[in-house]
Amino acid sequence: MSYIIGPNVVRYSCTCGLLKPISFLYFCRYCTQLRCSFCVCHEVDSNFCGKCSENIPSSEARVKKNRCGNCYMCPSCEQELSPRIASTKAPAEGEEKVSTKKMYYLFCQFCRWSSRDVGIPDQSSVTGGWPDRENIHANRLQELLDLYKAIVLAQKQQQEKDKKQRGKYISYTDRTGVTAAALRKRIGLPADLTHPLLKSRPKEPEPMIAQTEVEKLPDDIFTKPINLMDITTIEQRLLQPESQPTTVDKLFPVHKQLSIKRTLRCKTCEHNVSKPEYNPSSVKFKIQLFAYYHIPEIRIVTVEPLRAGRPCELILKFTNPTQHQTTISFFELNLDEQEDIVENKLTEVVENVEQLSLQEKQPMSLTSQPSSSLTLSSRSPSIIIKPRKIMEYMNCNIEIPESTFVLPPRDDAAEYDDSGETHNIHDDPKLVKWRKSNKAFIKLNITPDESLPLNAEVVCGFIMQHVYTNTITGQLEKKEPQKYDHKVKVFLTLGQTVGSE
Amino acid sequence: MMRNSIKILPGALVCEECKLRGDITIGSGTIIHPGATIIAEAGPIIIGDNCLIEEQVKIMHKLPFDHKEKEKTTPVLIIGSYNVFEVDCTVESPKIGNNNVFESKCFVGNKVTVSNGCTIGAGCKITEEQILKENIVFYGAKCMMREGLDRPVLQTLQMETLTKMLPNYHHIKKPNMKL
Ligand SMILES: [Zn+2]
Ligand SMILES: [Zn+2]
Ligand SMILES: [Zn+2]
Ligand SMILES: [Zn+2]
Repeated sequence: MSYIIGPNVVRYSCTCGLLKPISFLYFCRYCTQLRCSFCVCHEVDSNFCGKCSENIPSSEARVKKNRCGNCYMCPSCEQELSPRIASTKAPAEGEEKVSTKKMYYLFCQFCRWSSRDVGIPDQSSVTGGWPDRENIHANRLQELLDLYKAIVLAQKQQQEKDKKQRGKYISYTDRTGVTAAALRKRIGLPADLTHPLLKSRPKEPEPMIAQTEVEKLPDDIFTKPINLMDITTIEQRLLQPESQPTTVDKLFPVHKQLSIKRTLRCKTCEHNVSKPEYNPSSVKFKIQLFAYYHIPEIRIVTVEPLRAGRPCELILKFTNPTQHQTTISFFELNLDEQEDIVENKLTEVVENVEQLSLQEKQPMSLTSQPSSSLTLSSRSPSIIIKPRKIMEYMNCNIEIPESTFVLPPRDDAAEYDDSGETHNIHDDPKLVKWRKSNKAFIKLNITPDESLPLNAEVVCGFIMQHVYTNTITGQLEKKEPQKYDHKVKVFLTLGQTVGSE
Repeated sequence: MMRNSIKILPGALVCEECKLRGDITIGSGTIIHPGATIIAEAGPIIIGDNCLIEEQVKIMHKLPFDHKEKEKTTPVLIIGSYNVFEVDCTVESPKIGNNNVFESKCFVGNKVTVSNGCTIGAGCKITEEQILKENIVFYGAKCMMREGLDRPVLQTLQMETLTKMLPNYHHIKKPNMKL
């Protein structure tokens, strides 16, 4: 799939103004707007270990520093380590008592690193009891952590106390940015008035002292030939930040880092646009509002050699991914008018938001929505996304066709139907070259700008308007599905200009 | 023009379809898959016992250009025992010891002498003139190098299965040598 959509030749403009291929976009059905990963809220749904597929509650994950307790990574190449059986013959005391005992060691299938390499003794159980190495700075880190925790606690208590006093005097220090200490100085009071609660903080750990004299380098540092295989790489050192080993004999297995499942939420209406299934071994989604399933997909089929100032023919393939028929029309895209649009849109967005929150207050959402979304919709939208200017140039003119064309709904069975289809769709033969089931091949006439030099990248753009059938609102109000005209700005990177024939 | 002279020792399993060119001796217990190519261009190739040569493997015996005139005697490529050549690897090494693993799609150039117990990781490309020390491991996209603790594990189980399975589906060349 990535070889088709990977090269970013067809890019859609997100509502926020960023250009992305369709596979990177989401479509919020509630706002009927495109959303990209930069304009949705990312929330951690669950933590899990990718090796043992175990869900780990977020509180436990925090305690374990986001690492799995049972799985290890190779300190040499960062792949997963797997336990291996080594049936060593236990040292026999009497000559007849040769008993084989199953022992385990950790082994990397990839670079053949094993726990024996650094002299970790084999273990008798599969899951481990692998010794965790003591961090030499553990005490110091704990001391500092305790101190900061105490400070946070003291500050919280102070804030609460201040809140109680706020009834009497209104403090402007929070808003004006003038610190309490500075204010005290100005009115001639000692600046440092320690709060009684702060006095109870634990004793401060001894501060580190910077040393001016450093140990000298060994004499043979420049003369001794080095064996690069004994020295760790930067990646290997940073994998173990607490010890940062410089030689490979100090590499120890690292606990595997946990992975997360993400929920993506539309910032404007707070509905989910993507929600994965909870089970770590499942790769499916509960909610997946990917633009790929809602917005007609455009692919470049062919383009004639591009010559500056000469008209040439561009064939595009449009695919309707939805279960509803849609009509596609083209509009001119003028990037200079953006500034007005941006401003208009902002007001529009604000209006939309108000409308949405109004709608949500009506009890209609009780009919079919589960309780979780009820609590969500009762909240008012938190962030209004400002549309930004699209940072892209266009150097190719598109002759915008006046006629429109129809895309029939997607029909999975039609893929296997080889019989000659008669859709009875009256197409403009100048526009539609060929069609099959939910796909249509469209001819457009384009002219690269006269002033373009040789080997210049040709970019053209247009506005595609398609009829979007919203089934969600229909369900809620028990009405016919609503139809919207949805406009998307599309940019096509067509390739480089060539010389004359 | 090269003359084909293929000597197969008893116990070797050489599929009929594999491409063998030149003077090649195949040791006992060695398995050669049908898609493998072995070309003895510069001189004879002697493959030891119990080697596993998988599909699409290319073993080439050709000398570097600058070596051609120096050598007066015809060089012999001796491949030791218990070597594993995984799918689609290309090996042009002038000398190979025992117990090496050439992983899938790796490339070993004709200036690299391989000793014993080395692993050339999947996709690793090694061309610089060198003699690999024992138990050297190449791995990863950057061809990182490290020294292994011991030799790679033998593929005994896999080879046993293949000895049973291959004759059921492929024509096998008959051994033409006596031990
Ligand atoms: Zn966006
Ligand atoms: Zn795990
Ligand atoms: Zn490893
Ligand atoms: Zn939304």
